[in-house]
Amino acid sequence: MAIGKFIAKRALQGVFVVWGVITVVFLLRFMTPGSAVTFVAPPGADPDLRERIAEDLGLNDPIHVQYIDYVTGLLQGDMGYSYISGTEASVRVFARLPATIELAVAATVVAVVIAIPLGVISATRRHQPADYGATLFSLMGISTPNFWLGIMLILVVSVQFGLLPTSDRPLGLVTAFELLVFELRPEGLWVWAQHMVLPAIALGTYFTALITRLTRSGMIDELGRDYVDATRAKGLPETIVRYKHVLRNTLIPIITVLGLQLGTLIGGAVITEAVFSWPGLGTLLIDAIRVRDWPIIQGSLIVIGIGFVLINAIVDSMYAYVNPRVVNE
Amino acid sequence: MPYDKEMDRRGFLKFAGVSAAAATTSLAGCTGGEDDGEDPLGEEDQDLEITVTQGQFASTLDPQDHNDTPTYNVLDQAYEPLLYRDAEGEIVEYLATDYERLGEQEVEFTLREGVQFHSGDEMTAEDVAYSINRTVDDEVGIVSPQQDGLSGIEGAEASGDGTVAVTLSGPNPVVFENFASFGRILQQQWAEEHEDETIRDANGTGPYQLEEFEEDVRATFTAFDEYWDADNVGDVTQVTFEGAPESSTRVNSLLAGETDIVTNVPPSETPRIEDEDGMTFESVPSTRVIFLVMTNDREPFDSQEFRQAMNYAVDVEGIIDELLEGFGSPASQPTLEGHNGHNPDVDPYPYDPEQAQQLVEESGYAGTEIVLETPTGRYLGDEEIARAAASQIDELPNVSCDLEIRDFGDLAGEALDGDMSTSPGFFLIGWGNPTFDANYTLVPWFMPGQASQHFENDEVVDLLEQSESELDEDTREGHLQEANALLNEQAPWVFLHQQYSIYGVNEELDWEARSDEDILAKDVSAS
Repeated sequence: MAIGKFIAKRALQGVFVVWGVITVVFLLRFMTPGSAVTFVAPPGADPDLRERIAEDLGLNDPIHVQYIDYVTGLLQGDMGYSYISGTEASVRVFARLPATIELAVAATVVAVVIAIPLGVISATRRHQPADYGATLFSLMGISTPNFWLGIMLILVVSVQFGLLPTSDRPLGLVTAFELLVFELRPEGLWVWAQHMVLPAIALGTYFTALITRLTRSGMIDELGRDYVDATRAKGLPETIVRYKHVLRNTLIPIITVLGLQLGTLIGGAVITEAVFSWPGLGTLLIDAIRVRDWPIIQGSLIVIGIGFVLINAIVDSMYAYVNPRVVNE
Repeated sequence: MPYDKEMDRRGFLKFAGVSAAAATTSLAGCTGGEDDGEDPLGEEDQDLEITVTQGQFASTLDPQDHNDTPTYNVLDQAYEPLLYRDAEGEIVEYLATDYERLGEQEVEFTLREGVQFHSGDEMTAEDVAYSINRTVDDEVGIVSPQQDGLSGIEGAEASGDGTVAVTLSGPNPVVFENFASFGRILQQQWAEEHEDETIRDANGTGPYQLEEFEEDVRATFTAFDEYWDADNVGDVTQVTFEGAPESSTRVNSLLAGETDIVTNVPPSETPRIEDEDGMTFESVPSTRVIFLVMTNDREPFDSQEFRQAMNYAVDVEGIIDELLEGFGSPASQPTLEGHNGHNPDVDPYPYDPEQAQQLVEESGYAGTEIVLETPTGRYLGDEEIARAAASQIDELPNVSCDLEIRDFGDLAGEALDGDMSTSPGFFLIGWGNPTFDANYTLVPWFMPGQASQHFENDEVVDLLEQSESELDEDTREGHLQEANALLNEQAPWVFLHQQYSIYGVNEELDWEARSDEDILAKDVSAS
């Protein structure tokens, strides 16, 4: 099978998965007890008023009519209107997406920058203090809940020492860049970075620990292979052997995990976002769930779902490109 | 040393929409670090810029399309009603200077002269009539969730030079009490021309005008120079409202000096705030009562003895002392102390497990098993309070009580939909009363056909009906007091307590928390 055909097939599968996600997310509303009207009208509102609010929100139509309307709307980029605020769900969801992506990418960068060197050091100095240190770090990183870590970071770094802000991010990366380009003010980037550090560490620690372990075990595996002895026998310096040959081969599975984990981070940033009051999809979703604002819940879940599908498709395609055997499986 | 965020917030917040020049001039203020209070000419800088962080941000900026306190708090910087209440709960004139009954079904408001909207246009009687109609009439703009707040009002029209006549469907003895909580005024022409913008823009008559609104994130207001009551506005020149659902985030943000007032501080966090230099906490009894509803259309809650037994079985004082660290007062009846209709002669049930046990025997329901359902995170310490109450009831040798934690949406959806038969039998809930009148609590809970009705008693219904058609204030209050005494005796609820609101506050501010949970920047000054 040609690579193009493989990608087309994956894309088609992706479309079906997205349709499935949309349908499941839509049906969730009817499977969940509690009505949105409870939150739009005050508790104890007159039953007649509740009925008129439900009618106004379009909640009295039959399920199939609501489903067709919803899917038709989605195809036109319309996710409906928030029950609570009356604003367009798509506008609110997409307004929140950059903050979440920034956080997920920053957490990934934290992980890569720390984890790969740590994993390499750990693998090449086995059973030495550096290895024990890295192993301890990864064990702690994997077992520490990120909401607890977030609160501790805020308490120590922000409240105790006043080094970094706790929350209330005033601007996003795009605005920071606009300030730099249009007003030649680089301070925006500095402010953005200050607000990003703690959430990125809180969210990225688990991930860092995971990649450290993966790198360590991958390197140890690779170091034991025949080609390593062969390159050494050729007289190549140990640094070249380790970093040019062994690390490169170790990185292939790590890149796959990185790609897939990025999707998990986008979906899993919910708690970290709540701790740091981060204006991303996670806090939007939590707020919407609390008040049964279904257009927002559906919109957020669909965007997260599409994100997963897209990232998976890209990782699959890249993998197929790197390892053509996958195409023929 | 708190993190100094002046440069970030003040410098960059308004990049989208407001000139950088304006942003950089607003560097002075209370939040996030000290300003030396002097300009290069040596004059005092009077700017006071504050930030308020609530557990929930405003759901919309439309003054009629919501009904929740956090949204009112944000909106009330810009929008004002005809009547309002002062911190003691007394009705005060705002956009109306006079109000009177013209007959059984008509009242009239005389409007204040010289009131300007932020757009620069003068407020007219047509604007006021439109705003009232927009609340009560589905055909005018929106289906407003505030309709119950102005119930019994059919419509309004400009009736003369600076007067507005409001038509009622009946005598409506609480019409002015309701107007003191509902009916914020917006400009008709602006609302009609900006139909889609009323949810994210504001044009009221209030002391502050909207400068920046980032949906779900923050709203910033600056002082309105043409405000009609400028003499009674404190020192605040700019106020920013934000939302942070996590209580630890709010408290940490206060301790880090990033915000000045935070709402809903858990009692356990108050020592941490008190220990921090420059920070303090304010607490005030709120208008919210917390109780356990016993739906009386089923066993064992159809027995008055059993319901009374539940009241004797729960140690309310102990719960307040231990779980709420003193932030609460025991309740004896549905209507709180200080509210019209409260009966001062009725005492809370004492903690008396022996009496409870005996009453259970008398009820004929000895050996019964019940389940208490509670939301979690909705009210101060709700889950812990319910857990304690359930375990105290369970300690009675002749009753077994389990606890079930419910999502508030599920619980409220079942309990407050007007169908008593599908409600849980025994559940915890809270009820705020912004009108300071017994009617706002008693009618929804004890009148037939109401969404929250869980108790049927002809005598109570009779008293409430009389109160609804009685215009003589003393006689009406008598009916309500009698109803409250009867309800204490009938015990439809386990009366728990009046909830307290706890705020964390920057000590540089002079501000007193209000029992109605309102936060008005105009009441804040530098200490």
